[in-house]
Amino acid sequence: MTDISAGVPPTATTEPKTSLVASDARTRRRNAAEKRFRAYGMVAIGVGLFFLIVLAVSIVRSGLPAFTETVLSVEFTVSEEQFEDAESQILKTAVYEAIFVNALNEQLQAKNLDVAFDAAAIGRLVGKPGATIRTFFRENGDQLGQPVNFDLTAASRVDGYINGRVTRDTLVDSRFLQGSDLDLVDALIEAGIVKERFNWNFLTGTDSGVDNPGGAGIGASVIGSFFMMLVVLVLSLPIGVAASIYLEEFAPKNRFTDLIEVNISNLAAVPSIVFGILGLAVFIQFMHLPQSAPLVGGLVLTLMTLPTIIISTRASLKAVPPSIRDAALGVGASKMQAVFHHVLPLAAPGILTGTIIGLAQALGETAPLLLIGMVGYVAREYPEAFLSGFVEPNSAMPAQIYTWASRADAGFYEKAWGGIIVLLIFLLAMNIIAVLLRRRFERRW
Amino acid sequence: MPVLWILLIVFALAAVGYVLGRQRAVQSVDGDARRLHSLPSCYGTNVALFALIPALTVLVLWLLVQPMIISNSVVSNLPEGAVADDGSLSLVMSDVRRVADGLSLAVSEGEMTQTVATSPGTAFEDVAETLASVGVVLGSSVDTTVLRAAQEYRAMTSTGRVAMAFLVILIAVAGLTFALRMTQGRFRARTMVERVILALLIGAASVAILTTIGIVLSLVFNTVEFFRLYPASEFFFGTTWAPSFSGRGGASDLGVVPLLWGTLYISLIALLVAVPIGLFAAIYLSEYASPSVRGFAKPLLEILAGIPTIVYGLFALLTVGPLLLGVFGNDGVGWMQGGTAVMTAGLVMGIMLIPFVSSLSDDIINAVPQAMRDGSFGLGATKSETIKQVVLPAALPGIVGAILLAASRAIGETMIVVLGAGAAAKLSLNPFEAMTTVTAKIVSQLTGDADFASPEALVAFALGMTLFVITLGLNVIALYVVRKYREQYE
Amino acid sequence: MADTSLEIAEAAQQDPEAAIKIKSRGVQVYYADNHAIIDVDVDILDKTVTAFIGPSGCGKSTFLRCLNRMNDTIDVARVEGTITLDGEDIYDPAVDPVQLRAKVGMVFQKPNPFPKSIYDNVAYGPKIHGLARNRAELDEIVERALRRGAIWDEVKDRLHAPGTGLSGGQQQRLCIARAIATEPEVLLMDEPCSALDPIATAQVEDLIDELRQNYSVVIVTHSMQQAARVSQKTAFFHLGNLVEYGDTEQIFTNPRDSRTESYITGRIG
Repeated sequence: MTDISAGVPPTATTEPKTSLVASDARTRRRNAAEKRFRAYGMVAIGVGLFFLIVLAVSIVRSGLPAFTETVLSVEFTVSEEQFEDAESQILKTAVYEAIFVNALNEQLQAKNLDVAFDAAAIGRLVGKPGATIRTFFRENGDQLGQPVNFDLTAASRVDGYINGRVTRDTLVDSRFLQGSDLDLVDALIEAGIVKERFNWNFLTGTDSGVDNPGGAGIGASVIGSFFMMLVVLVLSLPIGVAASIYLEEFAPKNRFTDLIEVNISNLAAVPSIVFGILGLAVFIQFMHLPQSAPLVGGLVLTLMTLPTIIISTRASLKAVPPSIRDAALGVGASKMQAVFHHVLPLAAPGILTGTIIGLAQALGETAPLLLIGMVGYVAREYPEAFLSGFVEPNSAMPAQIYTWASRADAGFYEKAWGGIIVLLIFLLAMNIIAVLLRRRFERRW
Repeated sequence: MPVLWILLIVFALAAVGYVLGRQRAVQSVDGDARRLHSLPSCYGTNVALFALIPALTVLVLWLLVQPMIISNSVVSNLPEGAVADDGSLSLVMSDVRRVADGLSLAVSEGEMTQTVATSPGTAFEDVAETLASVGVVLGSSVDTTVLRAAQEYRAMTSTGRVAMAFLVILIAVAGLTFALRMTQGRFRARTMVERVILALLIGAASVAILTTIGIVLSLVFNTVEFFRLYPASEFFFGTTWAPSFSGRGGASDLGVVPLLWGTLYISLIALLVAVPIGLFAAIYLSEYASPSVRGFAKPLLEILAGIPTIVYGLFALLTVGPLLLGVFGNDGVGWMQGGTAVMTAGLVMGIMLIPFVSSLSDDIINAVPQAMRDGSFGLGATKSETIKQVVLPAALPGIVGAILLAASRAIGETMIVVLGAGAAAKLSLNPFEAMTTVTAKIVSQLTGDADFASPEALVAFALGMTLFVITLGLNVIALYVVRKYREQYE
Repeated sequence: MADTSLEIAEAAQQDPEAAIKIKSRGVQVYYADNHAIIDVDVDILDKTVTAFIGPSGCGKSTFLRCLNRMNDTIDVARVEGTITLDGEDIYDPAVDPVQLRAKVGMVFQKPNPFPKSIYDNVAYGPKIHGLARNRAELDEIVERALRRGAIWDEVKDRLHAPGTGLSGGQQQRLCIARAIATEPEVLLMDEPCSALDPIATAQVEDLIDELRQNYSVVIVTHSMQQAARVSQKTAFFHLGNLVEYGDTEQIFTNPRDSRTESYITGRIG
């Protein structure tokens, strides 16, 4: 460049003047490139939204069956004589089962559906109906001699057959279900005996152990998550707000506050599994807090959520204009009074919104819970009392979903998807509350 | 006395202190509150804080320290030969604690008298049955030695508890009296209270430092322990990962290289998915999209970021895996053997990272001043020319920072790889093969039934350390780059 | 390649005073519901410096940005009426604003060099418009532009240093050189000296005077002294109206409209 001589002719462009309306080849090429570039952007957005739709569809399609259960709805009468007779036998439930099989047979024949089946097939379809029937009549003696409708929950593979998860081609005969049973199921469907109903047990029930996907419920782990969130809320909100107030309002610029700032921004990006290791080493191995307890989960999640809450709280404090502080200081309030009486109340909606979003994040977090033993534990029972809910072993929603997803029986997959729907409904609700809070209280200065 | 009761008593004392302090302050100026230095409530709060804070601090410290002291003392009193090595020590101690808890439970349920539970003459066989009846089933390793240790443990624990209750309440009363004596009209109660509150605020801010220290210590101690049992060079340079199961029989190969390879390979695929899509989405949203499109597409994309990773994990395992298997599996091209593979995990992780990349890039692109764009438009550049040649180069450092942050996310992601990537550690180039990652192995080594003192479990801490160092490095660089970039336009 | 434009260009060569470069008739600009420019008719001559003056918010910058369709980048802005460049309607749907802006360059209020080297800043326009066939030609164009921008001597030894490292006045002259490099026919300047100190301002003003040899220059300015110093024609805007347009000397010595007089004597503004 520098070696070019200074004698450049000062003439203007050698090209003739062009019209604005006629676009030359170069402009056309440039405009085509422009269109292409724009299209890339639209494609990127489209791909992102496509993934979102695929995700949503697969969650809803695979998860909805978890909310329904298949029942065999049979109405029949047990007379007092039959009851007396059965109670005098040694194998009492077998007699009731025979009564049930007879009733079923009659109803099928009444509709001209002839299928051969035995008590073992019934056992594979609905478990042990005899015991259910016996218990009912022992407790409700006055119902003897009257027609009573029994809804017997069908096995999860029958459920799967009806939902299309199990097909005749993929079914391998086992003690759980055999090919011949499907003929019976078809006949029962035709006879209108098989019904679908809402599976309340999935929402209110507890985990059922590895070979009974049908009876698995998410209720206990919802409670586990609730106790964890309580711990997170009670600890992270005051600590987070206090830390933010210090850093935003009082902290002098020195090495110590720099150290805190660096720590907070780095902790926000530490992988969650590392927090799990921290929980395992410090809370369980060192402090001997109980494994699988919501208290420990809550502590770990508190440490994880703190940076999020601190960052959003500081943003809300920063949004309060300095003139408010000046006004308070101007009438003789101390700095502390200015902050607690004026700044904090004004920032409260923002802090609350940030906290809810932080809690929603913590609610869905799974990896640290794996390490503090919330996954191996089968949450069969609800906690006995409020306080024991913190320290008794329990599961939590995401941990329960993981447990189901890693079990061998494919029946649990449906439950895992269903659990995801429940989890997402909670997250959605929390986010909507946060958005509404923001809309309602947002203040522009 | 349960901790809850101690807490209630201390809080009650604080409440009483508040009322007394307030009264005393007002009395000291003959009821004329204007002559006080501070508001009457400040005097009350001052007394309450003096009653609460020292007592609660002692309570927390005591609760932390007591189990350690007792464990040490019980261990030192165990007869010679009861403990074979360090590994079984923790097993013995957990037996001791179980027996001790069982004894307390049995006594509280009336199955056993206090005398039987504490008497040194009680034979183990007599107790075992009672314990079983209250639900404490003991293994074969438990014998009379353990019972004695458990009795000692119980005795020390209950003594400790009583001592703690006394001490804590005493301190609360002392603090209360001390603060009450200070209370008089000219005492600057507000200054005092504010100083205490400031100290509490600083304490809260220090939790971040404590957390980091906690992470570093828990990683370092266990990693050092691991390297004592397993040579560090073999860990860092070993190319096979084959832990022997349950710590028995056969030596384990614990080389980190295949795990790192799997981690990086999956992260690479994730970034190949997320970076172009996220970047172009950000460009489109910030430069082209009309406000209505932006208001609609941006929140929708960000939903992807709010979905918990367990959902993505399940999505990989049950939807994407089988889908890919249908195309690339034996029914299709034949490259893929099972649904879990590097591709499955990488693809799903990429989807998860799209909004992460796009919203960070969006912020960064928006930080490029409008004057830059005007300058370029004023010269007759098209929008895409302006973006490619002016906006993106100006935003480049920030975008690189965003990509580094995304990479650190990908490397530290756990649930997607646990469910979607497979369990076999392999050094292979085929993206359709199952491989495993550092995070997945941390989970599997710590959730199995391996003994925590064995190298097979301790290796998880060394893996955690590796992960922590890598992600921390990436984050520090990324945050530095992004901050430098921001300063450029401030 | 229309014949008419050639004729006009030739006419301009013969009689610079008479050639009308840009002609606007009945121009209205709306920002959403706000009527920012009301019915402006103005003829901007070739090889002349035209100054737009008026109090802030009077619409002079808005009108300037209409002349190369920079208002297109603002979503809510709407322009009505006709503006022609060499007889061609620049708001014709067939006109590509990109081609228009290559002919009507713009220099902004705040110097806005790209975060690139000085050389790349100037070479950017020629590159995107394909004005150079090879590296040597590009070098030549860059040097010519920097010389005409009166900054060559200051930067010739550090062409590959970042443009953002220059002083404010140098940055603005770099931006002018950058605008010249694309060989525009009209140069729009939106308060080019408002962010500069007096010395840098004087340098830029000298430069504007020299640019008159080759270009039609339109300059928006807050400073009446500056308008008097550099321009031959002056347009006075007030509340979105073009109040008075004429020779600079006449406007400042013998304004016809009372509002113009109030403004130049300091009673409004």
